[in-house]
Amino acid sequence: MEVNNTNLANQIQDPTKSPSGLKILWKEIVRDKLALVSLILLTLITVFVYGIAFVLDQDEIVRVDLFAIHEPPSEEFILGTDYGGRDIFGQLIIGTRNSLSIGFLVTAISGIFGIAFGLIAGYFGGYTDNAMMRVLDFFQVLPFTMLVIVFVSIVPNYTILAFSIIMAAFNWMGIARLIRSKALQEKELDYVQASKTLGTSHTKIIFREVMPNISSLIIVTMTLNLAANIGIESGLSFLGFGFPESTPSLGTLLSYATNPQTLEYRWWIWVPAAILILVMMLMVRNVGEALRRATDARQRRG
Amino acid sequence: MAILKVNDLKVYFPIKAGIFNRTVDHVKAVDGVSFSIEQGKTYGLVGESGSGKTTTGRAVIGLESIYSGKVMFNGKDITNFGRKNSALRKDVQMIFQDPYSSLNPRKRILDIIAEPLRNFENLSMQEEKKRVQSLLEIVGLSPESILKYPHEFSGGQRQRIGIARAIAVRPKLIIADEPVSALDVSVQAQVLNFMQDIQKELNLTYLFISHDLGIVKHMCDDIAIMYKGRYVEQGTTADIFNNPQHIYTKRLVSAIPDINPRNREKQYHFRQEVQREYANSYNDYFDSEGLAYGLQPISDTHLVALPERG
Amino acid sequence: MWKFIVRRILITIPQIILLSVLLFLLAQAMPGDALSGLVDPNVSLEQKNALREKLGLNAPWYEKYGEWASGLVQGDLGQSFRFKMPVSDLIEQRMINTFWLSLATLIITYIIAIPLGILSGRYNDTILDSSITGYTYIGFATPLFIFGLVMLWVFGYQLQWFPTSGSVTPGLEPGSFEYVLSKAQHLLLPAISMALIQTVSTVQYLRSEIVDTKQREFIITARAKGASESRVYNKHILRNSLLPIAAFFGYEITFLIGGTVFVEMIFGFPGMGQLFIESILLRDYSVVNAVVLIFGIAAILGALLSDIILSLVDPRIRIK
Repeated sequence: MEVNNTNLANQIQDPTKSPSGLKILWKEIVRDKLALVSLILLTLITVFVYGIAFVLDQDEIVRVDLFAIHEPPSEEFILGTDYGGRDIFGQLIIGTRNSLSIGFLVTAISGIFGIAFGLIAGYFGGYTDNAMMRVLDFFQVLPFTMLVIVFVSIVPNYTILAFSIIMAAFNWMGIARLIRSKALQEKELDYVQASKTLGTSHTKIIFREVMPNISSLIIVTMTLNLAANIGIESGLSFLGFGFPESTPSLGTLLSYATNPQTLEYRWWIWVPAAILILVMMLMVRNVGEALRRATDARQRRG
Repeated sequence: MAILKVNDLKVYFPIKAGIFNRTVDHVKAVDGVSFSIEQGKTYGLVGESGSGKTTTGRAVIGLESIYSGKVMFNGKDITNFGRKNSALRKDVQMIFQDPYSSLNPRKRILDIIAEPLRNFENLSMQEEKKRVQSLLEIVGLSPESILKYPHEFSGGQRQRIGIARAIAVRPKLIIADEPVSALDVSVQAQVLNFMQDIQKELNLTYLFISHDLGIVKHMCDDIAIMYKGRYVEQGTTADIFNNPQHIYTKRLVSAIPDINPRNREKQYHFRQEVQREYANSYNDYFDSEGLAYGLQPISDTHLVALPERG
Repeated sequence: MWKFIVRRILITIPQIILLSVLLFLLAQAMPGDALSGLVDPNVSLEQKNALREKLGLNAPWYEKYGEWASGLVQGDLGQSFRFKMPVSDLIEQRMINTFWLSLATLIITYIIAIPLGILSGRYNDTILDSSITGYTYIGFATPLFIFGLVMLWVFGYQLQWFPTSGSVTPGLEPGSFEYVLSKAQHLLLPAISMALIQTVSTVQYLRSEIVDTKQREFIITARAKGASESRVYNKHILRNSLLPIAAFFGYEITFLIGGTVFVEMIFGFPGMGQLFIESILLRDYSVVNAVVLIFGIAAILGALLSDIILSLVDPRIRIK
């Protein structure tokens, strides 16, 4: 009996015994070579970009230098300069950092709101769900790009946070819809009913009982959203409605290519930024897709 | 005094249709059910699936909203009491049918069993842990299990965890919704006997919902048979098994398998006879919609759904 | 079923009203009002205020909304203060251009999507399928504006197969054959660029739909009865998979709208998207408002249309 007990205790010490969704997802990523490489590369880019941007002097980079306009790549300027004589490489680093930051921020804001919205609609169901879904339908049919641009152009105190909130305000519907349909299924399960009979409040049941059970879906969706949001941000910056020009984004560099001269003859200004956006979005997507396959498979198994 | 008294309980689910989704009709899941349970007794609710027995149980504890009727607990009205009166809620707990879905897979056993304690009692971490460990001991599981997750247990063990959770705040009434039907037959008796043990120990009252007459006979003091949302027959266990009056009850009782092979022939003929009677006298026992009539007393304890003799 | 349609239409009306209220409130928040477009900037403040009072610009917002909305219903979209002309006149030609661009994009999208989706679904898990899946995978991760830039660079500047901006070569007689040809030529590159990106979701949907249908009982029955492979595909699988796809075009409108803004900017195509960006930059807000309103209504009606068609095609949807 005693032997048995120590045995049990040992098992309890072993953390891998717990069915944590995070750990399972992590295992799946390690198994999927493409996703693993993507994740490593992504981490490297992130660390590199944030590290260098920390050392770089942003004012130095965005200062106009009329003696070095449109320099092709050279030893002094690794990737040349733009029409204001500003170093492209430095802008690329800072732009990547800014794009990543805003991607994370928008994903977080829209994610938190969308998850809460979806959980509440799905958990309560009935009239609540119906009313909330009509609101969601309305937001979903709005012309997203245009409304964001209009808002961006009329907001007086325009900051990174304001920009993120505007983007998130028109971008939470996808995840909300997904979470809602999952919550609708989940709330029928007995453990939710049990919590009700045990006197647990609705808020606690929603966020402490149901939410942990759909955490893998949340992680997968948030990852895929991150890729999309990086793309959307750079698109808006490309049109000139992301950051102001003094805060470079990857989209800002691409927007120089709307000048036919730049597009045709000065590839060093826009091609690296284009490649970087593509690579980052693909990598994030690889990770997200691997996670999605993992959760799908788990659902199929039981 | 009766601990639970249910009076003319009706649970209707709306059928919606039309452009504005108006309610056009109702599904009468429970249609006028009345009963009362004495402290310390076990009251069995029997019926086929869809008969409304589970809905009755869920309505009593507040998981379904009640269309009309009254539920009295210890003399207090708890009809649709929802989440308002936590003192009453604490006294009524539930054991669920499926031990696999009734325990949150993402929570440790400690957190699962402590959930009602956290809602109703202010315990320190240490006290709470002790309580959970002693509860685990009561249900026959190792107190070291508190840090494990539900998937590390067998179905029978999980149901014991569910029971430990239900008795954690020392309730007076437990609604057991088919507590063993998802378990292997070998484990069923174990869990049932254990339920009887803690009933004596804690002076519990059970509302025992089941489709299995054999189990009900073993567990219950009083039994009600439900069919299509209505009572067909109600009485003591002896009334129902020795003197079934309604044709539907007779059919159910005759269908209980007998393990003695020498009675096989006898059983067979008995079943044939009941089946014939069922076919012949169906219209005497059910109204034009195929529903049971109102209950008529035939003794102090025994009620049967028969048309009023005029 | 008509109940579903009526209910669906009833949802559309508040959507359109809500959209117009939202846009109206946005317009109120925008710097400047209708007056700034009408009068000389040198007029004194008092005179302006008097004029404002006279024009009803100081009325509460709901009164102004009522007036604005009744103007909208009569087709009055307001005045462009930049171009000093009614917005509706300004928009007309742009709208026609964008309409043709969108239509071309939709057609090309389906021309690409249907064969690719069918091939990929029919021969799933072959090399052909994995290369199509690879294309959709990368296409999903590629932002339209980058792809558009690359297309313009390659086919417009390097290979010079297509014109690099405008909607028609200047100086051609409208209505002549050359004119139409030139229009089509200007349309093609932006439309292809947009279609190649937009098509990926349709290809993926069609593929999974076909793979799904292939394993359904009635297909297995058809095979068991000895129907030829091509008959199984043409008669059974495609009919079940293509109809929903066809109905999706209404939803695509929402994506098209986002797409036109980028594509028209990149290819210098004089449509609504370009007008929108130009007007925002010029702070010509009455034009901005009109464009967003028209696009918004188009998206709402598109979704309505798709929902109705889908409900006719797929009875499962009606239950909800």
